[in-house]
Amino acid sequence: MNQGGNTQAIAPLDPNSIEQRYGVDGSQPQISSYQYSTGSDGTSWTANQAVENGNYSNSNYYHPQPTVSTTGNVQEIANTATSGTANVTQDYSGYTTYQAPSDPHSYSNTGYSNYYSGYQQQPSQTAPYQPAAAYQNTGATYQPISSFQNPGSYAGTASYSGTYYNPADYQTTGGYQSTNYNNQTAGGYPTTNYSNQTPASNQGNYTDYTSNPYQNYTPDASNTPSSTIATTAPVHYQQNYQQWPDYYSQTEVPCAPGTEKVSATSAYSQSFPVPGVTSEMPASNGQPAPAYAQPWRLETDSSQPPSQQPGAAVTSTSNDAYWMHQTPSVQAYYPVPPQNHYQSPVETKPVYETTFQGHQRATYPQELNPQTSIHQAPLGYRQPTQTTPSVDTQRVSKVKIPTNPRIASNLPSGFTKMEKDSSAAGATHTPAYVSVSMPKPKHHTTAMPDPGTFPKSLCGFVERAIARCKDDREKASCQAALRKIIKKADADGTLHTQDWDTEPLSTVLNTDVTDTEASSTFISSLQNKSPARRPKSRWEPLSEAKPFVKPASTFSSGVKFGGWNHQNENNKKSSEGFQKADAVTGFKPSYAGQNSAKKSFQRPVKRQRFSGGAGTAIDDEASSDSDKELTPYYSSAMALASSADEKKRRDSRSKRFEKVQGHNRGNDLHKPKNANVGNLHSRRATALRLGRDFDESGSRAVEDIDWDALTVKGTCQEIEKRYLRLTSAPDPSTVRPEDVLEKALLMVQDSQKNYLYKCDQLKSIRQDLTVQRIHNHLTAKVYETHARLALDAGDLPEYNQCLSQLKILYAEGIEGCSLEFAAYSLLYITLHSNNNRELLSSMSRLSEEAKKDEAVRHALSVRAAVTSGNYVMFFRLYKTAPNMNSCLMDLYVEKMRYKAVTFMSRSCRPTIPVSYLVQVLGFASASSEGSDEKETDGMEECSEWLKAHGASLIADDNGDMLLDTKVSSTSLFMPEPEDAVAHGDRNLDVNDFFTSSRTL
Amino acid sequence: MAYVSMGEAHRRITECLNRFCDAVSYQDSSTLCRLLSFSSNSPSLLSLADALNVFQDASSLIRQSDKFSDYGEILAHLFRSLQSYRVGNLVEAYLAYEKFANAFVQEFRNWESAWALEALYVVCYEVRVLAEKADKELTSNGKSPEKLKAAGSLLMKVFGVLAGKGPKRVGALYVTCQLFKTYFKLGTVNLCRSVIRSIETARIFDFEEFPRRDKVTYMYYTGRLEVFNENFPAADTKLSYALKYCNPNRERNIRMILKYLIPVKLSIGMIPNDELLRNYNLHEYKKIVQALKKGDLRLLRHALQEHEDRFLRSGVYLVLEKLELQVYQRLMKKIYIIQKQSDPARAHQLKLEVIAKTLRWLEIDMDLDEVECIMTILIYKNLVKGYLAHKSKVVVLSKQDPFPKLNGKPVGS
Repeated sequence: MNQGGNTQAIAPLDPNSIEQRYGVDGSQPQISSYQYSTGSDGTSWTANQAVENGNYSNSNYYHPQPTVSTTGNVQEIANTATSGTANVTQDYSGYTTYQAPSDPHSYSNTGYSNYYSGYQQQPSQTAPYQPAAAYQNTGATYQPISSFQNPGSYAGTASYSGTYYNPADYQTTGGYQSTNYNNQTAGGYPTTNYSNQTPASNQGNYTDYTSNPYQNYTPDASNTPSSTIATTAPVHYQQNYQQWPDYYSQTEVPCAPGTEKVSATSAYSQSFPVPGVTSEMPASNGQPAPAYAQPWRLETDSSQPPSQQPGAAVTSTSNDAYWMHQTPSVQAYYPVPPQNHYQSPVETKPVYETTFQGHQRATYPQELNPQTSIHQAPLGYRQPTQTTPSVDTQRVSKVKIPTNPRIASNLPSGFTKMEKDSSAAGATHTPAYVSVSMPKPKHHTTAMPDPGTFPKSLCGFVERAIARCKDDREKASCQAALRKIIKKADADGTLHTQDWDTEPLSTVLNTDVTDTEASSTFISSLQNKSPARRPKSRWEPLSEAKPFVKPASTFSSGVKFGGWNHQNENNKKSSEGFQKADAVTGFKPSYAGQNSAKKSFQRPVKRQRFSGGAGTAIDDEASSDSDKELTPYYSSAMALASSADEKKRRDSRSKRFEKVQGHNRGNDLHKPKNANVGNLHSRRATALRLGRDFDESGSRAVEDIDWDALTVKGTCQEIEKRYLRLTSAPDPSTVRPEDVLEKALLMVQDSQKNYLYKCDQLKSIRQDLTVQRIHNHLTAKVYETHARLALDAGDLPEYNQCLSQLKILYAEGIEGCSLEFAAYSLLYITLHSNNNRELLSSMSRLSEEAKKDEAVRHALSVRAAVTSGNYVMFFRLYKTAPNMNSCLMDLYVEKMRYKAVTFMSRSCRPTIPVSYLVQVLGFASASSEGSDEKETDGMEECSEWLKAHGASLIADDNGDMLLDTKVSSTSLFMPEPEDAVAHGDRNLDVNDFFTSSRTL
Repeated sequence: MAYVSMGEAHRRITECLNRFCDAVSYQDSSTLCRLLSFSSNSPSLLSLADALNVFQDASSLIRQSDKFSDYGEILAHLFRSLQSYRVGNLVEAYLAYEKFANAFVQEFRNWESAWALEALYVVCYEVRVLAEKADKELTSNGKSPEKLKAAGSLLMKVFGVLAGKGPKRVGALYVTCQLFKTYFKLGTVNLCRSVIRSIETARIFDFEEFPRRDKVTYMYYTGRLEVFNENFPAADTKLSYALKYCNPNRERNIRMILKYLIPVKLSIGMIPNDELLRNYNLHEYKKIVQALKKGDLRLLRHALQEHEDRFLRSGVYLVLEKLELQVYQRLMKKIYIIQKQSDPARAHQLKLEVIAKTLRWLEIDMDLDEVECIMTILIYKNLVKGYLAHKSKVVVLSKQDPFPKLNGKPVGS
């Protein structure tokens, strides 16, 4: 499903990684197989162990993947049956497909299988190892990864991240996972499958292991039992399985992270004893490790296993994921880091379940990315190892020891070295993880003494906080807040001292998603914490290519999951940006993806708000449905999916990221829940964030902002709409589509109402056009209409706005009345702006064709008349003006008349008859709007005008009025315009405004 | 492109790096200039560019030595720009050069003395020229040209570096001139104002202290600005200064100055002789000068129409158009003289009828109202002394100097 999609997307991106993974997987599987073998079959394991050694790194890689799967599982577990199953199913689906290829074990199908698969995955991986050796194994390892991804997808954010960042990885992982799942599933469900796996002796054992962890495991174990270890393992497995069920029933919470860890550690230790095998086990399955651990434990110490198992079981899902991560790291690092991971996984599991979902949503992308990156890196490393593993499965036994040590170190068992890193690792590991991840609280990870573990009171606090959430959205934000708080407490060192029981929930519940970033940083910090990684940024690790480094990266990836991250942080404390880690992993694609993941992070939060998040549901006991939804894109899906209207857009948009996010789509579809209202905003936010992220990444330019995503598609059918300047994102329900706007324009043109009404209507039309980014003839028509109306009303500011838009539209090649407006433009410059350079440039821009146009020629003549002061010509042109040219000239009439009278007063002696002035100065044309008086009689008007301007009029013998030029030449003045207003814009006059509002 | 071996490329690059560093340490501005001047297309630069294209990892060479890595940023950008320039990718070349220029200016700021002024000049020049070329490339690709604008803001930054007390201030005028060129090309002439203000009002600048070359260029551009503003006396002063001090051997520069100075001089009533127009190939003004001499309105209008595009582009169209009034004046004077010959007693009375008839001979159709309007304007602008008797449709000329000469003053003053 999603995974598959992801895998596809990923595949192109990271063929290498995939290959590597495969190799890795192979190794991992081997590892798992080793583990299994250790658990189940000593011999096979041993062989495997040898491989494992080689593979270890691989196994580590695997682990990451496994962890992923586990996380998924964890989530599922958290969700319990429903969500878990859903998730599982998804995973399975993906896995199954994969599985099918890799191994016939088709556990895959059931949700259990998923969980199991997660757990089993390792087993299954092992199984694959046996059959397909490297490839299958790789598949297994991949599966783990995929499982991670899946978790992420579950988390929603994870899905996002997956889509964005990790898609490729995911896909690959998915594919891998699927294989793993298959194995796992096979193991879990189909014990038979396991048995199938078992057929391959080692594999069989492995499978058994896997199966053992799951119900299948036991059968497998029985199957595998053939091998010495296997036999023991089977038992363990059975126990484990039992435990698992218990865990399941218990949900994640029940599992004590600590216990899980312990179990894991114990298992490891056990495995250690079985050196090769055990080591393999852990390594191979970070995830499986738990389960394995249990099995192992069972083998080694039945007692431990059980106890651990529960925890493991619970954690197993999460643990698996964690384990996966850890394991990768462990394998690579074998030393402490892995352990840490392991621990963290365990602990995280709980967190994951609860917080994870939330986190995952938010953080998943990042985490996923890291994982992917990690995987890739590991893969590269692993590949060699993997191949060897497959080949060396038998060898493994020898190798196992070394690996084992590492693993052991990781594991509580004792490879001190490893443990050193993880010092807390063994016991602490789990705690650390637990502590980091929210899970602890839920899961009681506190059991472990590890520093990382969260105090019970904190767990209670978290549970209380989550319980208060009414819906997913709240949960998401709550989780984010919790993360923040815990992070802060951890940073302050008050994590264990604070009285969480009395801590007011209000802080949590009121906080918003803003924390996502913090969480991400958290994660990053956690990731960084891994000792190995610290010195080197994640990026560096990638570059380093050392397996260890890779593991670290995987760690980080594991950490990336919100819960994980926290846990990791606690454990590791060294923090680096996830992104960095991702980057380290070396996928550039993943980078972008990561970035997107970050974005998605943010989104998730918001979405959660909007959509009531499926993610939150996941956290607690969300229904499986919600989980399903969450799985892929979850948060993104939430945001995007909501309204059917937007689906298309979302789809098209999501296509952009398909490569990255294979999974998201599915999620989107899942998410009809999202509120329509939220969609627009979320979309915009997404686009903006994307833009930002791109900017941040530096590789993308601003142009890459998806403006389409920001464009509104109107749905309003009202023709009439008042203009209101937007102060927020436009609401599609109040925006009119193009056809309605066309009607609105016609309505305005035919309207008998006054200019202010029309202006208001046209402005709202323009606004709707703008927000919908409509640039066509209609747009030009609207602006032309408005410009003409504005000219008619003498509203120059509005006219200028329209004209500047029209210039742009004409420049885009949109046909309109461009010549008419070129004439207006010329007139405007000539008469009002009085800017010679502007005039020159606009004249020089006129084409030959334009100069032949009547309106343009008229405008040019007017210009000539004005520059030379030829008032006679001006007023003649005034009377013959085409189009609205006279409207623009109106505004200059007063000046021109004054100029003319001034000239004549100075030049003519002794008198000039007013009748001549009436004729020459355009008064006779009757009714010019130039003067404010009524122009029933040109003479009357002219006299009035002359008197108003200080001219001296006398009457001759015939009673005709004459202008006494000599007197007038010194007395002429330009009267203050009567209608002048202080702010300079007559249209803004308060009385006018009242009238207009009344008429409106 | 000639084949260059790896070793040869390496040698050339190293040599260039050495020369750059030596030039800086010995404050050898001319060597530096040669390294920075792309538009010189010097063989050494071209061969260096070839070498850079062969030896792709020049930055590692720069990093190798502390001596080079001190200027690592400068050199890396310079090399990248040169590479792009060589392969004809001018936009890339400009972008890299801009970065280089920024780094160079940063370094320049730290140098106490003004030894590198010449090099800075080269940088400013190259930035502008590269930007113009890049814009051309962008335009031909259908993209919006914006590099020159960016170059403008970069130059403004450089101006800020130079505009202060100290020996570097003499370089400010060169940058100002490059800014003028940029702004005139962009059509954002109003941006010149702030620079002009700081040059003409800041006390740190003594105008005579600047290099003559820059002073001439500065006067040319500010003179052109005054032409736009139709402030003819000021334009006359500035353009005359430019003409006086410009290199007499640079015919093209003289012609550019005359293109604006002639209309300005015509506007204030001074007519150039034909030799000048001939020597500097300014034949587009020939007819206008003739029309002014003869009072041939038709010829003026034809001349304006004939070279309308050119005059519009150079921005003197409106100035030349205003010469019409002077042509009218000349025409009236001719009528007056003819009348004087036939009937001295009534020669000072110009009938509008006669004027209209005269214009008709010139194929310009005007009715009496229009002629009266023109005469009103002429009298108002003091091109004709006298008054117009509206009732009798007669212009009564003053008996004393009815057609006053402008004598260096613009019409209407």
